[in-house]
Amino acid sequence: MTIADLQTPAFVPREVRGLPSSPGTAALKQRYLSSPLMVDVEYLRHLTASHRRTDGLETLERRAEDHAFALEHLTPVIHPMDRLAGNKTRFIRGAVPYANYAAGPFLREIRRQEQDAQQKVAEQGTGGGIALARERAEQEGLTVLSGKFLISAEDLEEFKDLCGYWEDRCMMAAGERLWKSSFVHGAFIESGWTVGLYTAPHDPCPEGRIVLDFETALARGNEAILAEIEERISGFQPRAIPEARSLYFWRAARRALKGALAFAERHAREAERLASVEKDPARRIELLETAAACRRVPRHPPRTFREAVQSFWFTYLLGHLEGAHLGYSPGRLDQVLHPWFVRDGGVSFDEAVTIFEELFVKMTQIEYIASMSWQGLGHGNLFQNCMLGGLDAEGRPADNEMSLAILQAQINMQMTQPTLSVWYDDSLSDAFLMKAAECAKTGVGYPAFFNLKTYVRHEREASGLPESVIRSHAAMGGCTEPTLQGMSYGVVQAGFVNHGKLIDLTLGDGLDPVTGLRLFPPRPLSTYEDVEASYVENMHAAVRRWQQYWNYVMLAHRETVPLVFCSVFVQDCLGRGLCMDDGGAVVNRTPTTLSSGLVNVANSLAAIRRLCYHDRVVTLDELRRALADNWKGHDLLRKKALAVAKWGNDDDEADAIFLRLFDDYCRWVAGQDNYLGCPYDPSMLAISTPVPFGKVCAAFPDGRRAGEPLADGVTSPFPGTDTHGPTAVIRSSGKVDHARIRGGLLNLKFHPTALKGEKGSRNLLALIKTYFDMPGFHVQFNVVDSEMLRDAQAHPDRYRDLVVRVAGFSAYWVEMSRALQDQVLWRTEHGW
Amino acid sequence: MAGEGEGVVFDIQHYAVTDGPGIRTLVFLKGCPLRCAWCCNPESQRRGPDLRHSAPRCRGCFACQAACPGGGVSREGGRPVFDRARCCPADPWACVEACPQGALSRVGEAMSADRVMARVAADKPFYDNSGGGVTFSGGEPFAQASFLRGLLERSRSLGIHAAVETCGCADASDVAASAEQVDLFLFDLKSADPACHEALTGASNDRILRNLRFLSANYPDRLLVRVPLVPGFTDSPENLSGIAGLLVELRVTRVELMPYHELGRDKYKGLARPYPIPTPRPADLAASAARAVSVFRSRGIDSTVGGV
Repeated sequence: MTIADLQTPAFVPREVRGLPSSPGTAALKQRYLSSPLMVDVEYLRHLTASHRRTDGLETLERRAEDHAFALEHLTPVIHPMDRLAGNKTRFIRGAVPYANYAAGPFLREIRRQEQDAQQKVAEQGTGGGIALARERAEQEGLTVLSGKFLISAEDLEEFKDLCGYWEDRCMMAAGERLWKSSFVHGAFIESGWTVGLYTAPHDPCPEGRIVLDFETALARGNEAILAEIEERISGFQPRAIPEARSLYFWRAARRALKGALAFAERHAREAERLASVEKDPARRIELLETAAACRRVPRHPPRTFREAVQSFWFTYLLGHLEGAHLGYSPGRLDQVLHPWFVRDGGVSFDEAVTIFEELFVKMTQIEYIASMSWQGLGHGNLFQNCMLGGLDAEGRPADNEMSLAILQAQINMQMTQPTLSVWYDDSLSDAFLMKAAECAKTGVGYPAFFNLKTYVRHEREASGLPESVIRSHAAMGGCTEPTLQGMSYGVVQAGFVNHGKLIDLTLGDGLDPVTGLRLFPPRPLSTYEDVEASYVENMHAAVRRWQQYWNYVMLAHRETVPLVFCSVFVQDCLGRGLCMDDGGAVVNRTPTTLSSGLVNVANSLAAIRRLCYHDRVVTLDELRRALADNWKGHDLLRKKALAVAKWGNDDDEADAIFLRLFDDYCRWVAGQDNYLGCPYDPSMLAISTPVPFGKVCAAFPDGRRAGEPLADGVTSPFPGTDTHGPTAVIRSSGKVDHARIRGGLLNLKFHPTALKGEKGSRNLLALIKTYFDMPGFHVQFNVVDSEMLRDAQAHPDRYRDLVVRVAGFSAYWVEMSRALQDQVLWRTEHGW
Repeated sequence: MAGEGEGVVFDIQHYAVTDGPGIRTLVFLKGCPLRCAWCCNPESQRRGPDLRHSAPRCRGCFACQAACPGGGVSREGGRPVFDRARCCPADPWACVEACPQGALSRVGEAMSADRVMARVAADKPFYDNSGGGVTFSGGEPFAQASFLRGLLERSRSLGIHAAVETCGCADASDVAASAEQVDLFLFDLKSADPACHEALTGASNDRILRNLRFLSANYPDRLLVRVPLVPGFTDSPENLSGIAGLLVELRVTRVELMPYHELGRDKYKGLARPYPIPTPRPADLAASAARAVSVFRSRGIDSTVGGV
């Protein structure tokens, strides 16, 4: 009995609730909320048309030509009320289906759709825009694709043809041709997919976790960069391979930039056309301003703050269009835009807030369509991470007026994108940190707080760059993986290793208890040390083979979909004459090996150690029988298993196991080089993997039942097992050497009453400081109350804009799957 | 029961933020001389451990009945009923051990002061960064006066800010002996009128008023008087005026008002005790708080609504 588990008070409203700063941005948000999710094949159509006629071009040149051709033919759409020009699709909420990455899964999806028009998709949300999509589909004869997207019958036919074209040409097909007939552990990888040891195949292998060099893009303008490229081309004589190949990259870069300029010009013309027929004089002025901005940027440096935002948006958007990105991020937006705010002089703080509100609606309107598995993992979240605060090159606090304006804009709008994060340092201003706490109290789930000191230490060890460079370029590539803005390789998204499945396989003597497939040889389990060693050996094999498999995938990526436009804005690709896939970036140690579920492993081993070998209340075989029975009929044993101290309570025994496994994982991961010749960086994230990973796992010795989600986050305790409060969670998590990994994740959930008023904000900041002194790396907060969440489940329509933080990102509550909603509820209530 | 040098603790709560400044750890000591009808910690009142039964978790398997050596568990409508008077002294917690659902629990654990303070001290960095510390609550902490003294001494030597949340019903000598080591008294005052106090809490306020006089005279800067606003019990204008008059006399210039909540309601069920207070309407609570603020303001006393 504790006081805590009796606290289920009545509805407590969130303390901070913002409103859009202008009727215009309020209308933009409303329009977004009431728009269905659409698939737009237009980019793919033009890309494919080009690809059909570019056979024979060198890979980089062909890639640039196809992308640029598409940019020169996309319909320039400026929706009513829009002042920023440029969209990823023709729709308000639209996704580009990148069949050039992976066509197979889309074809399978279309075929399934044809077979079963009434398909019910179990694990995607049903509220909000998704419900709207289904309604519209019925009324207008549209087809629902991938569970929640709409596509017209005409477009669907074309999409089918386009997928057919790419089926054998896409990156996935190229990869499979490569690894299936050369990788000795290929069959193991496929078994791993079958049992759920790994996230599903790389369909359609998303790009991402990259931040472009927006500072240079804005300050120089594309014309100056083009001139530099021209100079390089004309001053270069191909003499020896591989240097001679630089010529291809520069030529490709030139083509990609020209496409970008054409894209901007087409929008300028469209804005002028709209202005010429516009009746409302105020709107007409807006459109002419937009036209002037599109004529100016990104070709030249901006003249006003609004043009600076337009220039950022064009570069950001065109990079986003080039690849199937997840974790592609705006980076240090407050640093990039502050000089332009100061230079403008005519724009007020409040006007800047409104412009950010417009930008954030734009960013949220980008949707992501992939195979059901990836979509399920990301819950449609694109992980566009905007970093605030931090330090400058000299080590001075870098928070500025734009940091405050960006926070205010998201307090007002509470859009799911971009997710905001703070690079924390003790020297940041009180006004900024208090504003960040205020934003957290909206319940929107951001900003997340990251400890800059920890990352600087990691990056110094990983890349050897000077501290000043790391400080001034530190950004976040996606949810919780730090990267250097405009300097680091963008990662061909590696999938995850499921630590939970390794418990199943270890206790199953190498056999998967769910499918009966054998993945590992049986190993001795007669002592506790045997059990732990067996898990470690299995983990080693699973991780190493997964890394090796990814190197084949990255190689196939180089040969099919290298990023040319993005490479132009990553140092030092132009200087070296190499695209990112050829090692052009300054830092090539960004590829990580991802895994989740280690907390469940530590908890399970702690329970086995206590119950089977220390207190000897049960033999390992009896325990295994209870797990096979999914704990049915073994309630008393399960109670004992639950009572064993778990990770997250500052219990040295349980924590020691976690720390040992963590240490071994980091060491082992770095023992393999990535495709670019650098050691893989260890990382642990979660996104939504705890749900699908838990679904495929049998019952665990820690008391978890079969199919239940795994622990979320990286150092977050398993729901209900943290019985000593948030400070004990932090003390446990603070024992981890966070500088060893690129990433890390601690979710803490608070009832609004715990954070009430100025005192509540100050306590929250004290908690962050204490954790980061340890030093921790990342912490984020859910400010919720269980009554509210329960009501949201019953009445999703009343909570259309309710946003909740789950494992590294925000998604609209009512669009999340029931299973994930339940996990959040479960955590909130802390009740087993 | 507690051994030599041990006290009975029924909960330790970390990241507490409503009982004193900053991030705090709340240590709940068992035992209270008062019996307030609205008490939100009814399990705190008896000094010894209590048996708590959670009806929602119980599946009616009667493992408890089989385990109880004293025959203290009977059946009523498919659910167990516990005769707490017959809890067997030889093996009093056999039922708790045997319950596969975790529906039975024991409230109150004997702990040494060192063990308690190890839990408290673990959060020292949080206190240092937030201006927080430890708050000893209950029950009535002075009901375990020597144990409390040990806790306070250790807090002082560890450099941890210590608050005591008290109803004031304690021996004057105990209060005087500890007062020097207490950084903040959160003094819960229900009524200034002796007869009214006895009717509300089952005990006279003699000792309470004496201790309040002592603290207001000697430690005015370490005293925060808190008044619970229990609808129909303490929130009448007469009762609040009486308190305000007393505070004016004692030169106490500030008071914290504690609006009623019924978070304790479910606990009564678990202890097989009735809960006597009907659920008030939120509007009534707000009105009651507003009334109370004006009563104190009219006597020149600064009041804040807190505690939630």
